Amino acid sequence: MDFDTTVKTAVYRVAAESARMPGAGEVAREIGAPVDEVIAAFERLHEKRLLVPEPGVPARVRMAPPFSGVETPFLVRVNGKGYYANCVWDALGVAAALHADAVVEASDGHTGEPMGMEFRDGAVVPVAVRDGAPLPMEAVAHFAVPAARWWADIIFT
Amino acid sequence: MLLFRSEETVKAWCTARGLPVRPLINLDQLWFLAQAWYENRLTVDSRRPGPDEMTAIFARVGLTGPFWDPKADRL
Repeated sequence: MDFDTTVKTAVYRVAAESARMPGAGEVAREIGAPVDEVIAAFERLHEKRLLVPEPGVPARVRMAPPFSGVETPFLVRVNGKGYYANCVWDALGVAAALHADAVVEASDGHTGEPMGMEFRDGAVVPVAVRDGAPLPMEAVAHFAVPAARWWADIIFT
Repeated sequence: MLLFRSEETVKAWCTARGLPVRPLINLDQLWFLAQAWYENRLTVDSRRPGPDEMTAIFARVGLTGPFWDPKADRL
């Protein structure tokens, strides 16, 4: 396994197992490598669109899609842990990557109305919670940016 | 990529920002994309789909045209 793959695997393993994003220091300790080499690997993985370092802070990971390194409006609860996802697509991606049932807590992108999704037995169902009672609701996802430009500013996308 | 209660709130969001309303996708389509992109993400040999693979994945759920073309350079 080449070095970049070792770094990538370590990042994703920690993110999946702990529901938090490791930094370069933690990855370096995990794999027994110099921190600066891990930071260089982060940048190469960024070029391959497998990881996004925090802008201006190259030792931190902003995104290891579908996992987010920061709090976002998309909280995915799986097996008692809470994972932040980068967007609504990535919220379902967390469930897909972990191969587990999940509950997604989100909100309407315009009104802020709480919305949710449950993923169970291979199906996704939108739900709303009002006064503690889940209700089915219509839901749609909107992609504001064309596919060819997603990575021009992946944080906005 | 945001979640919305309805097409109406999508339009309101876009109007507030001076952005065009882009294609909407439903949760079944989104789940298909999420699986295609991420079901193997935790494996050692995981990688993102290449451009042609992306186009094929989108087409499987009816997402076709320039907006979904990762190689399109004018939109």
